[in-house]
Parts: sequence; structure tokens; C-alpha cells
Amino acid sequence: MNQWDGMEKKLRKNLLFCLLGLALGIVLALVGNYFYDRSSTNESCMACHFHPEAADSWKQSYHYNNPSGTKVDCVQCHLPPEGNFAHFKAKAKIGIKDVWSALTKKKEDIDWESKKELEHATRIVYNSSCLECHVNLYPTGISDEGIVAHLYYDENAEKLNLQCISCHLDAGHFNPNYSHSKMTGVPVSSTNTEIYTTLAEVTSFENFTETVPGTSAAIRMVAVPGGKFTIGSPSVEQFRAGDEGPQKEIEVSPFFMSEVEITWDQYWAFYGETMSEGRIDPDVVRAHNARPDIDAVSGPTPPFGNPDQGWGMGDRPALTMTHYAAEVFCRWLSLRTGRHYRLPTEAEWEYAARGGTDGAYFFDGKIRKFAKDTTVIGGYVIYALNSRNRTQEPSRVKPNPFGLKNMLGNVMEYCSDWYAEDAYAQLRDGEKDPQGPATGTEHVVRGGFYADAAGRVRSAARSHTRHDDWLRTDPQIPKSIWWYSDVKGIGFRVVCDVPEGIN
Amino acid sequence: MEENKINRRDFLSKSAILGVTGVVGTSALLSACGKKDTMVPLRPKGEYYVPELPDKAIDGKELKVGLVGCGGRGSGAIVNLLNAADGIKVVALGDTFPDRLANVRNNLKEKYNQDVPDDKCFIGLDAYKKVIDAGIDMVILTTPPVFRPEHFAYATQKGVHSFLEKPIAVDPKGYRSIIATAKQAQAKNLCVVTGTQRHHQRPYVEAFQKIQEGMIGEITGGNVYWNQGMLWYRERQKGWSDGEWMIRDWVNWKWLSGDHIVEQHVHNIDVFLWMLGKHPVKATAFGARHRRITGDQYDQFSVDFEFENGIHLHSMCRQIDGTSSNVGEYVQGTKGSWNSYDHEIKDLQGNVLWKFDEEAAKAQFKQNDPYVLEHVDWVNHIRKGEAHDEAEATAISCLAGVMGREAAYTGETVTWDAMSASSLDYMPADLKIGPMDMSGFTVPVPGTAK
Repeated sequence: MNQWDGMEKKLRKNLLFCLLGLALGIVLALVGNYFYDRSSTNESCMACHFHPEAADSWKQSYHYNNPSGTKVDCVQCHLPPEGNFAHFKAKAKIGIKDVWSALTKKKEDIDWESKKELEHATRIVYNSSCLECHVNLYPTGISDEGIVAHLYYDENAEKLNLQCISCHLDAGHFNPNYSHSKMTGVPVSSTNTEIYTTLAEVTSFENFTETVPGTSAAIRMVAVPGGKFTIGSPSVEQFRAGDEGPQKEIEVSPFFMSEVEITWDQYWAFYGETMSEGRIDPDVVRAHNARPDIDAVSGPTPPFGNPDQGWGMGDRPALTMTHYAAEVFCRWLSLRTGRHYRLPTEAEWEYAARGGTDGAYFFDGKIRKFAKDTTVIGGYVIYALNSRNRTQEPSRVKPNPFGLKNMLGNVMEYCSDWYAEDAYAQLRDGEKDPQGPATGTEHVVRGGFYADAAGRVRSAARSHTRHDDWLRTDPQIPKSIWWYSDVKGIGFRVVCDVPEGIN
Repeated sequence: MEENKINRRDFLSKSAILGVTGVVGTSALLSACGKKDTMVPLRPKGEYYVPELPDKAIDGKELKVGLVGCGGRGSGAIVNLLNAADGIKVVALGDTFPDRLANVRNNLKEKYNQDVPDDKCFIGLDAYKKVIDAGIDMVILTTPPVFRPEHFAYATQKGVHSFLEKPIAVDPKGYRSIIATAKQAQAKNLCVVTGTQRHHQRPYVEAFQKIQEGMIGEITGGNVYWNQGMLWYRERQKGWSDGEWMIRDWVNWKWLSGDHIVEQHVHNIDVFLWMLGKHPVKATAFGARHRRITGDQYDQFSVDFEFENGIHLHSMCRQIDGTSSNVGEYVQGTKGSWNSYDHEIKDLQGNVLWKFDEEAAKAQFKQNDPYVLEHVDWVNHIRKGEAHDEAEATAISCLAGVMGREAAYTGETVTWDAMSASSLDYMPADLKIGPMDMSGFTVPVPGTAK
């Protein structure tokens, strides 16, 4: 009996421990679950996200303010769908990061504007979460254009890594400068209301301002004297890429070059005179524009969304036009002025950018320093550290020795040359006015852009178009020949041949 | 509603898991048997739809039906429905012209004891709205095909189950409209059947299963045909306006029918797409008009369709008197072939591996008419409350036909991507029963598109 008693006591004791343990476990699980759930509420998100703009813009967006009355919470977009480890991992990561930022950073020091841009948004919005709720991409009321776009998405999402927010960036946070529709009308200049009536006269090789009659486009042209220079960079230059050599002695004839990258005001003047609402077969457009005897070009179709990215127009560089569109701009300008405008050759571009210098930049300073310190470079170049992730007006920077602004940074600029990695190897030493490789698939772009690091905005740094990739979101077939859908920091400047009889 | 959706989704995912387990289990068992030359399914069972084809639809609540389009197909389809199920009440009729409507109405009254009152008979191009708004559960849409997308969208908006006679789109814009409406219909738990009746024809359904189970191996190509004599045409009568004439003579006009490659031959193209489970990526075609009397269509097409992985389908269709007739499909696989003429599957040596047993089917079933069986399937889905969609697949087949047609009209190779995004819209801007701008209705000449 005693034996049984003892066992019973032991059992009871064990049972008690078991029950206590179980109770404690349940309490812990409940508390843990409570905090896990609580940490996913909008309130707890906003506790660390101490910028009320995020909450305000959310409340003005479709995800809060819509006819169905559905409210989409922070974590429904900013975390992967619930129910797997990816959700937990992302939650832990973003939670720790946000708490850390809240404790160590000042609200004013954070560039909230650039966090609204697609590049950042794709890192904190999960496409799988979009699709978790949006099970039907063809809801009642969808437009025919919408169906085209969503059919394209269905066919290509995986292949091209398409994102919902590439076109619906304002779904979760309202942005008054964002547009999910085709642009209507022609933007008018806010800074210059003068409509020019006469052409500029060019009688000597000096700077002049091209005024296009009937428009308010005034293009300041800088006389760039001809000369010799060394194209490319020495192998010892920091951050140098292989395609910047071998260096060659090149001679360039004199030309005029626009002082700044072609501005929105100038581009809209072209657009206003040449745009066509309906889509015409690109082959037909190209054939028309290629004819030597035309007196008017066929220009761009209306862009989708705000091509200025909501950053402002005016004197800021025009963006996202294709290389072809830039060429047609030159053709238009030539027809309207009787002078010969074109894109610069790569040699002309680098010669102009260097302005007689042969270092990494046309100003003094160490590259390593520019990677942290904007004091010197910031006076000349709009790049990663001073751009706030967008283009800036030319008035922000000082010119180079030739009087040209923003040759480096702000936006990449088209050249007329086809790109080849070994283009300089194909050059002869002492060659005059080289035109680049005879054929190719991508064009040269030069000068870096606002999000580039210091090493990418050197005078010798080369790059090229990525045609298909820059159009991957465009759902139209054939895709636009006028506007790129997936690149922002691309623009151009024009050169004008020196008219005959002028020295 | 929300609750139901979640339950349904949960249920689906669970049944999918069960299905996968089943497939894995079965194949494990099969391989355990050590039989080497076993068939490799093209798709796992459960990933493709196989209709049940009982003689008659299940009984259930009375269903009120409307008919929009009282021509030959409409008058047939409504009778097919009445033969397919009991408890069907014909509530409303619509047509552009009163004479067509009267024929159907009289027939229904005399032979089927279905009396449609005067105030439920609607005439005109907007009759479809009135029919759909007449308190019906289901609608048969059998007007000329150019109107189908608009009618289907309205029916779906009103929560009405649709039977869509093929073709259901004659241009890319119509195709896109159908795709979107089909998804919306699914969201509303609606049942949509299209008039591609081979999907409900016993020998085809059985062959489809054999092919999916891998009996002919991987599909490598095919040939499909609809060659026949002239179809029919209506000479213009005194007093007929442009609009009335074209609609009465609709199988001869591009914008109304989509041309005969879309209007008729889509059946055969659709069979190949059904078996393969993919849409073409490219089409190169010839076409011409030799002897058609009215309208602006061709009377023959020959199309080379290219699919992913270099698979080709040759499609030909002709409507010319005095030429050889041939309607059917042939599909070639790595291990054998199937054809619809004798409903046989042969291996590469010509041995018959399977043949549809017509006698057995006749012994087992009383109803073997696919035009009736498609309505049986439609009513069964409605009465069981199971959403069903044939519109998306049929729209894809229609766009394939459109691709072939445009390739022939232009003489250019046409891609699926270009076609599915094309702004081509066949609906005339000035559509009316009255004078219309006829200058655009011309016979296409290849090579002159640009």
C-alpha cells in the first residue's frame, strides 16, 4: 500500500509539474502570440514609422479609401503573405531595422521622398502579397487597356520579373504627382511664356541661343572649339572599367553643344508640334521620318504616367525618351531652324565633358573623397550623394571649362554611336571625328546620372542603353518607340554642326 | 460570401493535396509493377476538365431561360436545352428582326408547350438587354458573333449564366473583353458554356482523355480541316438598309462573323488547342476569295500555326462549291496519332491502340447528341451551384482563328503577343439598322496593309 501511496504522490507531483508547465507554456504562447499579433497592427508599425505622411498618404490611397470599404493594413503589403517562414523572416528583419532606425536616427535626416520611388518600393512591397488579395486581375470595370496590360503581366510576370507596383505605385500611398493613365494635352512652360517669332542668327563661332519660332523653346548653344584630346582613361584610374581603354589620341572639329541637357520645356515644344494621339505602325513612322524630303516629322505618342516622375518640369532635363525619340527631336530642330542638329558622337561628348582636362573629373579632387564628401564634386555634379535620388535643375551646378553644365551626373546622355566594349581598340591614334562602330544593338550613353556613385560619373565612364530591359513593363505590342517604361535617369543634349561660312 | 470563398479555396487546396498524393501514390504503385512501357501523362489527372455526360441533366429548381438571337443556331440551341433538362421555362426572346423571332416563338409554342408572352419578346439591337433584364437565370446568346462580348458582359454583370455560341470573339478587343468577363463570371460563381460541342461529344471526350493520359506520347503537330461547299447568302431585298442586309447575310461579312476561319473552322483549331493545352505563338497564312457572292470575306484559308517548342499545326478551310469536303482533325504524337474521322488512335506502325466503341456508347447512353449534352453539362453545373468556365479557352481558340485570318489578310506573319494586344476592333462605329458607311467593307488584299 505504502508503495502505491508513494507512487501516487510522485505521480501527483509529476502531474502537478506537468500541468504547471503546460499552463506556463500556454501563457507564454498566448503572450508571445499576443505580442506577435500586436506587433503586426498598423498602430505598432506607426509607432516606429514616426513620419505621419506615410499614414496620411495611406489613408488617401485606394487601399484605405475605396468604394468597397476594404482597408488594407501595413503588413498586408509590406510583408510576404502569412503562413510561411518568409513572412516571419521578413517581419523580424523589418521590425529590427525599424526599431533600430527609430532609436538611432532623426526623422529629418531620412530622405522620405526617395523612399516613395519604385526602386525603394520594390524592396519593401511584396508582389506575392499583392496577388494574395488580388486573385482576379480582370475585375468588373477594367478598361481595355487594363486588360491588355494584365494579359501581358500574366504571360510575362515570371519571365521578366514584372511587379504590380511598376504600374500601381500609388496603390498603397497616395501621391498627387503620380499618374496611372496616359498623359493628355501638352504641358506648357511655367517659366517662359514668351513665344518666339524669329530664328537666332548665327554669324560667328560664338555662343548663341536657338529660339524656335512659334514655341517658347530657347536652347542655349555653346561654341566648343575643335582640338585634340585623349579619349578614355589610363589603366591606373580608380573605378575604371575595361571599356574605357585603350586610350587614343583623337581630333574633334568645332561644334556647338547645348549648354544643358535638353529640358522639359524644350522637349514639350517638340512634342506639341509633332505628337500623334493614335498609335501608328512604328515601321511606318520610321519610314516617314527617314525620308529626306519631309517638312515635318512624326513625333511621340502620349506617355503613360508622368514622365517627369512628379519631380517637376521646366528646366529639369527631359527624361525617359528613347534614343530614337532624341534623334527625331534633332530632326525636328533641324527642320525648324535650317541648321543641322544631331546627337553628339561619343568622341565629341567626351571631348566636351573634359573641357581640356585629362583627369578623372574636370575639377580637382580625389575620387575616394567624393564617395563620402560632396563639398567639391557637389558644386559640379548631381550624383548619388547630393541628388536626393532625382534630377535637379541646372542652376544647382557650376559649368565645366567649356561652359557646359551637367555633363557628368543628373541624367545619362545619348550619343549617336553604337556601343561596343572595344570601341576604342577600333580607333586609330590621331583619328579625326570618329563615328563609332558601324553597327550594334545598343547605343552609347555617357555621363552617369543622379543615383550613380562618384566612380560612375567620371569623364571617361561609359555605359549603354538596355533597350529590352528598359521596355520590359510596356504592355503594348509593338512596344513604344518613343518612351521607355523602365528607366528614369536618361536624357540627351544636342550638338549643332557649324554652319558653312563660319570660322 | 467572403466566408464561402475562403472555405472553397481551402477545400480546393486540400483536394489538390489529396489529388497530388493520389497521383504520386498511383504512379509509385505503377512503377512498382515494373512495367516499363507505361504511358506518361501529358498533364496530371485533375489538371484538365472532363465533362460528365449523362443522358439528362439532374432535376432541380425551375430555371428561367432567355434566348438572344433567334436564327438557325438559336432556334436549335433552345430546343437542345429543352431536350437536355426538365424544369426549364423559356421566359424571353430577343432578335434584331421580328420574323426570325416569330419562327422560334411559334415552334416553341407548338412543339414544346412553351408560350412566351408578347411583352417578353424584344426586337432590335438592344433586345439583349431587355431579355437579360426579364428575370432570367440563364441566357443563350446566339446572335452573329461580333455582338457576343457585349452580350456576355451584360449577362455577367446581371448575374445570369451564359451559353455562348461559338465563335465568341471576332477581334482582339472582343477577345480581351471575353477574358475579363469570364473571370468576373467565375467570381460570381456563374456557369458559362460555349458552343464548341466537340468538348461534349463522346468520342472526342474519350480521345481527349486517352491523349492526356499519354497514349500518343508528346504531341508534335497536327492538321485540321473544314473544307465544304458554299455556306449560304442572302441577296439584298428591297427596303433592306445596309445594316439589315449585312446582319441578315452575316456569315459573309468580316465584321459580323470574323470570316469563316473564325466562324466555322474555329471548331477544328479549338480541338487541337484543347488537346495540346497551349495557344499558338505565330501564324503565317494564305487566303483568297474566289467565288463568294456577297460580303467582304474570303472563301479559303491555309494557315501554318507555330506553337512553343517548334510544334506546327496546319489548318485549312474552304467554302467553295464543287471542291472536296473534309471536316476533321488529326493530331500527331511521338508514339502515335489520333484522328477524328474514325476516332482511332494508332501507334507509329499503324496498329490500332484505341477506337471509340460507338455500339457500346449507344447501349450505355440514350443521348449522344453533343449539342444536347453541352446543355446537360451547363444545367448540371448551374443546379449543383458549381462555377464553370469554357469562355476563356474558347476565346483563346477564337483569337488563334483571328491570328490566322489576319496573317492571311495582310500576308504578314502575325504573333500571338501582337494579336492579343492589338487595337483591332471590328465593331463599326456607326452600327445601326439603317444606312452605314460601307466604304470600309472591302476584300483584304495581302501585302497592302502598310
